[in-house]
Amino acid sequence: MKICKTICFIVCVFASAISWVNIQQASTHSLKFIVPKGWPQPVYDFKNNPLTEEGFQLGRKLFYDGCLSKDGNFSCAGCHQQFAAFATYDHSLSHGHDNNFTKRNAPPLFNLAWQKEFMWDGGINHLDAQPLAPITDSNEMAENIDNVLKKLKADTAYKRMFKAAFGDATINTQRMTKALSQFVVMMVSSNSKYDRVMRGEDSFNLPQRLGYAIFKKKCAACHAEPMFTDYSYRNAGLPLDSFLYDHGRMRITRNSADSLKFKVPSLRNAQQTFPYGHDGRFYSLMEVFNFYRNDLVQGPLTDSVLMHGMPLSNYEIGQLTAFIYTLTDSAFLNDKRFAAPGYESRMPVPAKDMHRIK
Amino acid sequence: MFFKSSNKDINAEECDATGDATRLYCLAHKKIFLLFFIISCSLSVKAQHTITITFKNKVGDKTLNTDSIYTNQFDETFKVRNCRYYISNIVFIDSINKKTQVYNDEYFLIDEKDEVSKKITLNTSIQQITGIEFLLGVDSIKNVSGVQTGSLDPAKGMFWTWNTGYVMAKLEGTSPAANTPAHAFSYHIGGYKTGEDAARKIKLTLPGALAVNENKKIIVTADILKWFTGMHDIKITDAAFCHEPGKLAMQFADNYANMFNVEIAQ
Repeated sequence: MKICKTICFIVCVFASAISWVNIQQASTHSLKFIVPKGWPQPVYDFKNNPLTEEGFQLGRKLFYDGCLSKDGNFSCAGCHQQFAAFATYDHSLSHGHDNNFTKRNAPPLFNLAWQKEFMWDGGINHLDAQPLAPITDSNEMAENIDNVLKKLKADTAYKRMFKAAFGDATINTQRMTKALSQFVVMMVSSNSKYDRVMRGEDSFNLPQRLGYAIFKKKCAACHAEPMFTDYSYRNAGLPLDSFLYDHGRMRITRNSADSLKFKVPSLRNAQQTFPYGHDGRFYSLMEVFNFYRNDLVQGPLTDSVLMHGMPLSNYEIGQLTAFIYTLTDSAFLNDKRFAAPGYESRMPVPAKDMHRIK
Repeated sequence: MFFKSSNKDINAEECDATGDATRLYCLAHKKIFLLFFIISCSLSVKAQHTITITFKNKVGDKTLNTDSIYTNQFDETFKVRNCRYYISNIVFIDSINKKTQVYNDEYFLIDEKDEVSKKITLNTSIQQITGIEFLLGVDSIKNVSGVQTGSLDPAKGMFWTWNTGYVMAKLEGTSPAANTPAHAFSYHIGGYKTGEDAARKIKLTLPGALAVNENKKIIVTADILKWFTGMHDIKITDAAFCHEPGKLAMQFADNYANMFNVEIAQ
């Protein structure tokens, strides 16, 4: 009798548990993250934030929405412009709330899935946590998280989109930042001429080839392929700006040996990301080269690879420039997936297609 | 829509309607299952009780009030405006029967201004309690795993955005001794990396064994005065601000690790 009861009990448990198995209907459309051939595995944890078309589109809307800022004027895209590889075009420092300037040059956004730490000083340890800094910083978007969530919750479009992306209409900090991560993590720049050459689909011209050889000898120790950065923090011999008084990595580690260390920036799309340097002090590649060959501070804390300066001839600068321009990924810069939502319908029909469409 | 996986334009309304129907169906099923599960559990598993832990903030032997003036060990008078701290990884200990009950992955933000936050109610099957253990703060895993929800939501204002990490404990107020604008002092204690981990494991022994044969209550008191002395003497006049991990934060953490006491509620 007791066995009968036990069997009956187990059967009932299984029968009623079936509802749990079937509950996950495929209401979202998963997105595939493709690792370019020959690249290392990404560090972003996709298991914790599975990419979906719905999450991506929500992130895209958030990225371009000024409501994430206090006065509605500053969206993420305000300082991260696609035509500048998601840096601020032609600005040493970006503009923030109440006529403030940011303290540092806005970094371009691409290949973030391979990046462990964020900001010039590496203070942020997870991509999902990254947007909270500009949203809350008083000289950037100057808003508080609660207010952002309030605005999102009051918007029916967001309610619908959060529901589509996450299964129910709950709007919280985690979901907002996960959606933003889904959008920005998809920004992979891997189709420059350099990449095509590496894949054997194209070939360098002479200056580019010579420049690549010089690059490998003089620059690749820090700007390591294929990301064109080794993500380390280094003191490249830039003197301290007496107004900004930015000691970089030291602010995070409080270790005086880290004074004036900043993250090695990627050289991908460098043609579009000027001005250069953590505070944007170099307005052109030529200024960067001139700094390295003439003005580099060779102090006790300057990085060991630059301890003896960086001699560069005019000839080398010419070839290096030609090579760096091969890192421009125009497919990425024009990728409509990353443009503002609704971008397609707002664009005028290109002239050459006008007759064909009718 | 630019992705292959969704080349047809989805009608959101239509999608929602069918989704709702399915969800209602599943919800009904879930309810039946839960009901069944609870009944079977209550029949087969031995009785569960709840233990309510009430946190009471004190200043010396006085109850903390945000409008009263207190004096610390260095004769500095001060008022407290804000007092919040994280309690996590609670463990009930029965040292007589060598049993423990662990509440991993449960995080509570105790906020002086929020009475509800000061009561933690936990279900337990443990028969008696001789002690309680918890982490004052948030373990390092949760400091490096992106953005969390619930009491760990960064919107709670206990999270550094510029140098990722939780503020484990926060004490803010005013004191004539503070050499700052409006005589404000503000201690945000955090840090999770090796050498600057401000979370502290707290182990408290109950005055006697507490038999858990019905719902029970225990009280944990936290003496704010302990922030200023104990392992390190910290005067408000010398250090009115602490807003980053590091040496001062570690000193505060060493001090306040001794601020707790436990008693059984009558």
